[in-house]
Amino acid sequence: MPDGKGAMTERERVLALLDRKKPDRVPIWPFAYQGFATVYTGTPISDAYNKPRVAYEAQKKTCHDFGWVFTPMLGYAAYGGWELGGEIKWPSGEFAQAPTVLKHPVETPDDVMSLKVPDVKTAGIVPIMKEFYDISSKELLDNEPFNVMQFGANGSFTIAGNISGPDRLCKWIIKKPDVAHRLLQLANEHISKLAAYWKELYGVENVIPLGGEPTSANQLISPNMFKEFAMPYITEINKMFIDMGYRHLYAHICGEHNANMEYWAQIPMGDPGIISIAQEVELFDAARYFPNDVILGNVNPAIIQTGTPEEVYAAVKKNVEDGKKIEGGYIFSPGCEMPPMAPVENIKAMSQAVFDHGWY
Amino acid sequence: MATEERTKEILKGLHDSVYEFEEDDAVKWAKTALEEGVDPFVATMEGIAEGMIAAGEAYNEKKYFVPELLMCADALYAGLDILKPAIEASGRQAEVKGSIVLGVVEGDVHDIGKNLVKMMFEVAGWTVYDLGKDVPLDKFVEEQIKTDAEVVGLSALMTTSMLAMPVVIEKLRAKNPKVRILLGGAPVNPEVAEKYGADGYAKTAGTAVDEAINLLKVLKEEELGE
Ligand code: B12
Repeated sequence: MPDGKGAMTERERVLALLDRKKPDRVPIWPFAYQGFATVYTGTPISDAYNKPRVAYEAQKKTCHDFGWVFTPMLGYAAYGGWELGGEIKWPSGEFAQAPTVLKHPVETPDDVMSLKVPDVKTAGIVPIMKEFYDISSKELLDNEPFNVMQFGANGSFTIAGNISGPDRLCKWIIKKPDVAHRLLQLANEHISKLAAYWKELYGVENVIPLGGEPTSANQLISPNMFKEFAMPYITEINKMFIDMGYRHLYAHICGEHNANMEYWAQIPMGDPGIISIAQEVELFDAARYFPNDVILGNVNPAIIQTGTPEEVYAAVKKNVEDGKKIEGGYIFSPGCEMPPMAPVENIKAMSQAVFDHGWY
Repeated sequence: MATEERTKEILKGLHDSVYEFEEDDAVKWAKTALEEGVDPFVATMEGIAEGMIAAGEAYNEKKYFVPELLMCADALYAGLDILKPAIEASGRQAEVKGSIVLGVVEGDVHDIGKNLVKMMFEVAGWTVYDLGKDVPLDKFVEEQIKTDAEVVGLSALMTTSMLAMPVVIEKLRAKNPKVRILLGGAPVNPEVAEKYGADGYAKTAGTAVDEAINLLKVLKEEELGE
């Protein structure tokens, strides 16, 4: 249901924002790569994670049908556990939404100290991601500002937590800070090898690195812990990406991070970066902390799944009207992954609200 | 036998070692309690449990976060390991307040909140049958039947996995209409709990135990009324 009115394409809208210019309308760039796209196109959710061709076609069709920005992506929030040597379970059944770590590669401080980062090319989901990006990098459609949205940036703390299990990382922060730091270094070592591999394969031109940080939310750790254990590692990784020549990074600040925002604001995000915030952080607060970056967010995904089309429309309208006031630029998205079971009527109401109220 | 003053000192030692997450101290004070003849049940409830309750309050006030709570839990379990056998050996059966089957529903791995809930129930003297995370729905029913637990607590952190809750509730009710069902997790609220046909809902680990006790009271009253 593309609105068909605008002079600009979704690709041009996003690229205009990244050039610090105003687009004609707010772009819609939802977090709907995986579960939602597969459910909508009628294949099992696990295909989104382990069948690259099916996953790619599902994302492409979904973004086309609803008139959205398309940035092909294959990755998952529990990333790190399998990649560093553990075991994974694919989502199956009626209620599962994403892969789950079954066995963590480290359980004790000794395990951490002796863990070696495995060869990145064969690590966990990486070969599947490669197959996916091999496909996506071959074409650049007019709703694609980037044809590779490469998983790996700015998620150091969460990846570390996925390697050990977040509860262990939490305890080591207090009891064995040296072990926590070592784990974070291992996470960063893996990410930097991954980044070098992706750059070698796809260059930097049509590529945007992304990452997510659920596990460093204030629902789990304190702002001081964020400052000591998350900020330095995320900074290191983001600097590395920027030094490698990537112009823009996409950071999904997942969950309630209000007390961490002053630290997030010190982390380099590119020129400009895309700051994806959850519904727990106010749009204008995010804009205040990131005056020079583009803010992406942040309607509560729960409403999109459980609300009526009227409720969805009203929530999105409010978000878009606020977002348009953000000087540095704004892109519409739910605050986190689009629930796979969100009714199509609600999704249409969501897009329609942007088509009706998103014009500058 | 420890004097009243010394008993107080030991209870405070237990309380503080849990609250300040000093695992070694918790062990030391638990041993001291036994050596000096403090009732292990009193040591548990008025020392250790009080320390954990204070930690829960610090968490609500955002003085503590999940790492501190998990460390407090380690100290708590270290102390309990020493006191529990003594309670059993004394023949003075710790008063079991109730029993609960607890788990995160199928499809969902977010288990940090559930683990905190579990701890609060243990602290309050409940027997907890913890099924873990990503629990197949029939497992809740089987475990309830096997253990005859009065309460089943379901946790879900996603709107997707939350949809499994009414399915479990229906399965549980079909086998055992009397079982009390308690829901929790970020996307759940009192309205959702009611719509799904649960008996109760609690927003935090701290209030979960109170809510469960209320459910049991209602259950007992119904039984008396029969
Ligand atoms: C940490 C986290 C993760 C970690 C989880 C690690 C772990 N082992 O638990 C990781 C990185 C693995 C993860 C993965 C994913 N996550 Co996540 N995650 C979070 C985050 C940021 C915090 C959750 C948390 O631990 N909170 C801290 C604890 C202490 O709080 P709590 O769980 O709410 O528990 C308290 C109460 O709710 C209550 N309670 C809890 N259970 C019970 C039970 C009973 C009976 C009672 C009475 C009370 C009770 O007591 C607790 C203590 O007070 C939330 C954000 C949020 N808003 O919750 C997202 C969030 C839950 N995740 C989300 C998503 C989408 C995912 C993924 C699907 C992403 C992906 N595509 O890969 C995967 C799912 C994996 C899977 N198979 O389940 C979304 C869910 C959206 C939705 N559909 O509703 C959220 C809400 C983020 C958002 N902003 O929208 N995640």
